Amino acid sequence: MKIIVFLEQIVNTQVKLYGVDYFDSSKASEDDLIINPTSKNAIEGALKLKEALGAEVTAVCMQGLKPIKAIREAIAMGCDSGIEVANDGLYNDDPLIIAKVYTKVLEKIGDYDLVLLGVEEQPTGAYAVSAMLAELLNLPSVLYAEEVEILDNSLKITHIIEGGRKIVEMPMKGVISCTDSQYFVPRYTSMRGILTAKRAVIPKWELSDIGLKTEDISKDAALIKEVSMSNIVIEKETYIIKEGEPEEMVEELLSKLKEDEVKLGV
Amino acid sequence: MMKTLVFGQVRDGKIEENTLGVINKIIEVFGSDEVNAALIGHQLKSEWTEELGKHGIKKAYTVDAPELEFYLSKPYVKAMQEIIKKFNPTLVIAAGTVYGEDLLPRLAVLNSSSVAQKVTDLAMEGEDILFHIPVRDDQALKIIKITSNIKFATTRPGAFFINENPTGDKPEVENVSVSFDENDLVVKHIEIKKAERTVNLKDAKIIVAGGRGVGGKDKFQIIRELAEALGGEIGATRACTDVNWVDETYEIGQTGQSVSPDLYIAAGISGAPQHMSGVKAKKLIAINTDEGAPIFNFADYGIVGDLHTILPILKEKLQ
Repeated sequence: MKIIVFLEQIVNTQVKLYGVDYFDSSKASEDDLIINPTSKNAIEGALKLKEALGAEVTAVCMQGLKPIKAIREAIAMGCDSGIEVANDGLYNDDPLIIAKVYTKVLEKIGDYDLVLLGVEEQPTGAYAVSAMLAELLNLPSVLYAEEVEILDNSLKITHIIEGGRKIVEMPMKGVISCTDSQYFVPRYTSMRGILTAKRAVIPKWELSDIGLKTEDISKDAALIKEVSMSNIVIEKETYIIKEGEPEEMVEELLSKLKEDEVKLGV
Repeated sequence: MMKTLVFGQVRDGKIEENTLGVINKIIEVFGSDEVNAALIGHQLKSEWTEELGKHGIKKAYTVDAPELEFYLSKPYVKAMQEIIKKFNPTLVIAAGTVYGEDLLPRLAVLNSSSVAQKVTDLAMEGEDILFHIPVRDDQALKIIKITSNIKFATTRPGAFFINENPTGDKPEVENVSVSFDENDLVVKHIEIKKAERTVNLKDAKIIVAGGRGVGGKDKFQIIRELAEALGGEIGATRACTDVNWVDETYEIGQTGQSVSPDLYIAAGISGAPQHMSGVKAKKLIAINTDEGAPIFNFADYGIVGDLHTILPILKEKLQ
């Protein structure tokens, strides 16, 4: 069995870059680059299947300022190999472009069974790539997976829904998007893994290798166009207490609540 | 001319409320002339189409088949495609529930279009629809447009108001027949496990809720103690219920309960949209170590500090 995990590298959301600045790649340093947390959930899912079924796991990364770093980390976690895909001129605001590139990558890989992704894509905070990819590939898919159980010839997948969870069965060839659940809590890298990752030869596929041109992934090719982006001005006034000893902070909060006639208690 | 198709979703035997919010918003922005809905399922009830009509839907396209009893991507995509062919809409929109987010991107692919997601507002500018999407923990607003003729969008749950006094008439109903074969049913429904909701938080006046920042099952004790001291209930984000720090009945947010207390104390909660879409509090107090956490944008009062230091003092002073 062959599993492909598509990773996304993002700028750590903990960095002190407010609003629009977060999207300015020139403001981020290499240390700020991390694997998107939900992509890590997908890696964990792939590694669990690897352990149970003896699958081979390939991590593919196109999105990010330094995809090779994400791939090495994925290998250090336990993935068997990696592929970097060139992203020059990539317009990643349109999930359809990403899904189309992934389709081309899979075409070139040729022989694969399961494709795993994280549920959420940065920077849009949207969830469309997995569904679009499944549709383009015409493969069965389950999104928002929370847990995977292996049956004889299929997978039993629990996924999130509003007000509970749903259990479905899908074939062993298909697309799964993984959520931040207990089952998908990512493992740490191992010392042995880090050494393997260091030595790993990771091929870089240029767009021409997968039958694409820069025009195919640029803003001109996109059906979604950004019109503007601006910081949101919060009009709500928040009384924030940032300084002082804890005791003083609580005192200050209580006296302010009293002043505003906010009742504590019923 | 805008022709909008709303994906009608049913939950717990009723039209799901975010869907009603979407209809209200669409009518506000585009007028009510050509706002139709798709209702897909098995043993569809006339009260559902009537409810859609009341909220302003002129015509409901229904597909009723045993294969559609539970949401599954392929049969639902097939049914929607038939409706899209009949109505020929310019905009297909759904509330961004798990099913909405699953369905619309697929339909976009099949109609050579793309999809705007997590939309919190829409506006017309000339011929274009501008979709407003908050990004970066709601610090920035991205406005996008879709250039294809037919456009697809899902909305953020809780983003739109529901018309509380709808006065629309019964809609025209057209039943569309769709047949399914085994290729459509490769993914099989096994069961739905509803989360146990043994405690109803809807009417709670005071809620003390904990998030990932609480840090562990035992550490949740302080949340309980403060709730007790205030005579309120406890609540939690999905991150906490998922790892069993707290029973899942206490989950608040998109996949949990919706609450509207007088006072909501959010401790160690970052303020992600998935949680906040379930919280409509008169007053909100946030306690978080991260000054940049979005929860402070929702808060009326905030303390930047460790909840495990602050809450015990607060509890003590209240007693």
